[in-house]
Amino acid sequence: MENIIGTWIAALLTLCIFSFLYRDNPFFRFAEALFAGVSLGYYVGQTADQTIKPNLVIPLMEDFVGNLDLIFAALIGLNLYTRYVPKVAWMARLSLAIYVGYYTGVNMVQKLHGEVLPQSGATMIDLVSTAGGQFDWGGFLNALVVFVGVLAVLVYFFFSLEHRGAVGKVSRLGVWYLMLGFGAAFGYTVMGRISLLIGRMNFLVNDWIGGLLRGYPS
Amino acid sequence: MFFRLQLPLILTFIAGMIPIVAFFFTSEATIVKAPTDRLEKWMVIVAGFALLLGVINVIQGNLKKIERRGPGWPYAICLLVGLLVPGIFGILSAFSVGPFQGIGLRADGGYTPFAWVTRFFFEPLQATMFSLLAFYIASAAFRAFRVRNLEATILLVAAVLVMIGRIPVGDAISSAVRPGALASFTEWLMDKPNTAAQRGILIGAALGAASLSLRVILGIERSYLGLEKSE
Amino acid sequence: MESTGKRNGLVQSLRNFDRRWVFLLIGLGTILPIIYPIGFGVSTTPPVQQLYDKIESLTPDDVVMLSFDFGPTTVPENGPMASAILRHCFTRGIKVVVIALYPIGGRALAVQALNEVAPEFPHLRYGIDFVNLGYKDGAQALMKQMGEDIHGVFPTDANGDPLSQLPLMQRVHNYKDISLVVSLATGVIGEWWANLINSQFGVPVAVGCTAVSAPKYYAYLNTGQMIGLLGGLKGASEYERLLLDGHPSVSAPYNDPTRFNAMKGMDVQTIDHSIIILFIVVGNVAYFLSRRRAARV
Repeated sequence: MENIIGTWIAALLTLCIFSFLYRDNPFFRFAEALFAGVSLGYYVGQTADQTIKPNLVIPLMEDFVGNLDLIFAALIGLNLYTRYVPKVAWMARLSLAIYVGYYTGVNMVQKLHGEVLPQSGATMIDLVSTAGGQFDWGGFLNALVVFVGVLAVLVYFFFSLEHRGAVGKVSRLGVWYLMLGFGAAFGYTVMGRISLLIGRMNFLVNDWIGGLLRGYPS
Repeated sequence: MFFRLQLPLILTFIAGMIPIVAFFFTSEATIVKAPTDRLEKWMVIVAGFALLLGVINVIQGNLKKIERRGPGWPYAICLLVGLLVPGIFGILSAFSVGPFQGIGLRADGGYTPFAWVTRFFFEPLQATMFSLLAFYIASAAFRAFRVRNLEATILLVAAVLVMIGRIPVGDAISSAVRPGALASFTEWLMDKPNTAAQRGILIGAALGAASLSLRVILGIERSYLGLEKSE
Repeated sequence: MESTGKRNGLVQSLRNFDRRWVFLLIGLGTILPIIYPIGFGVSTTPPVQQLYDKIESLTPDDVVMLSFDFGPTTVPENGPMASAILRHCFTRGIKVVVIALYPIGGRALAVQALNEVAPEFPHLRYGIDFVNLGYKDGAQALMKQMGEDIHGVFPTDANGDPLSQLPLMQRVHNYKDISLVVSLATGVIGEWWANLINSQFGVPVAVGCTAVSAPKYYAYLNTGQMIGLLGGLKGASEYERLLLDGHPSVSAPYNDPTRFNAMKGMDVQTIDHSIIILFIVVGNVAYFLSRRRAARV
């Protein structure tokens, strides 16, 4: 029974949001406000159950002395909330400094080691390839397309030099590569957005109306 | 002054350098790995607290709106109810209070209160709100996608080729010329020119992000602390 | 003169076209193929084939980590990927460790996927053939931590049971014990698996991403930081096709007319893409006609 009520609630909320396509109305506004609140509420509940409890509360309950340092971690986290108390708001900077500093350090290594080096390395390759002992024109042209494209795009993003003359021409080629990339991205974006709609329509047709006609699963 | 300015910058430097230095040492170098592992465990807990900061902002803002009877204040009540119900359900469920036993499914396959709200409120609302984009992208394609110049033409041709090439009808159309030709060309477009463009963007963006990270760690960039460079 | 007048009227109509008619056409183009499936064929592409071949090469001694890094918004794309990969691993007896790193809904979707697929393989046992470790905050920090000690990051599974009680987790301690990580991602987490975890720990990574992100992931695929890529609903449909061709024993859920799968979704994609391309063509025709009229004036 609770599943049937739930399916109807989900269907009505779905229709409330779709009503915006005709025009703005109180049903949409209600669903929109509920969406914002429920998203945050879900986050609160999940964090309490999946992070705070198993990573902080349970280790302290099982071995308090051995996990004393976790209290320090909890204090760093709680200290973030001092920003809401004007007299001691400056203390939140200490926690923020540790949090931002750590993730900034991770990010720096990740970007250089995980993106710049592999992507640059994959570009600086031997353009000449062979297939069965013979010069592979297909492989060569493909490698050239990528090599020239990466250089042209990087020249386009080099804004310290005016894009005139030879630099301007290479930069224009970079723009064409970017347009190809963005066009491909648009094509995929259309597919992605339609996929979201398919999910909701499938729910309305097969789960809600289908359930009404065939009976809801128990 | 030291505690309000210099100490945060010192902490940023230390916390930032730990993962960088640890990267260059193997797990056998316990003198380096031990503080790194500790910090990583702490960050999982701190992240849990940090991500809830926004919740307090939202509660404060909406309470003020209700108090002042600002425009749309009844919707602020909906928002707060929507926030408090699953939030309280989740906290009670985490500590197994009364009927709130966990946030997942019960042993008999039924929904716990938190799981029921997730399944029939949170998931449909989230999914439907984003599915509106499908309609708007179609409308935008009709109203704004114009062949104004060479660059726009390249973009449009690439988009149309990918859209046709990724659907079964594309295979049917290209089989008149050569079976699988359009799908192969689309795959080539993604694997070569698109990769070149994405690689250029990735390298440029990554270099920019790395330089910003260095500025933050060295204390040159201080805006995340709410400070200007001169402070 | 009369034809010019008619053309001007047509141009004006197209320019003033109420977009709600566009919405209605897209809505009908989505609903009708769901009610009346067409059954278009699906062709496969190399990035999907590579992931399929990788999982085919694994044995029951291998462990795959399946990371649910997506939320309810992208279930139509990532959901079928999750089901197909779980079916593929289960049918080959490959062990699966499920985690969720996406904060908004990842955990619930992992549970739903396992509840949908696991009953199709009644001989499999939780804790021995597959485990669900649940969700954890911390993103890159915890992903790096798992390189040293998964048990430290996930002290319990999603049900709150200690990992020491789960036989499968006795031999899975870090990435060295994982043969393949498959991230089903809606945002940047998939990139972190490729540019952080594969780069620093060398564990093979494959990503099933949304169509919106797919173009970006080709750069990681090209450098070898990923061994396979499922891009959006098309990628999911290709994997389902490969799975059905290679393992017909799992076809029952895909033949159920009441259940959604990616291959059925491609029928809708075909119709809606065609409508949008038609709108683009009509819009540009109206644009050129109005430009010609303005040039004459």
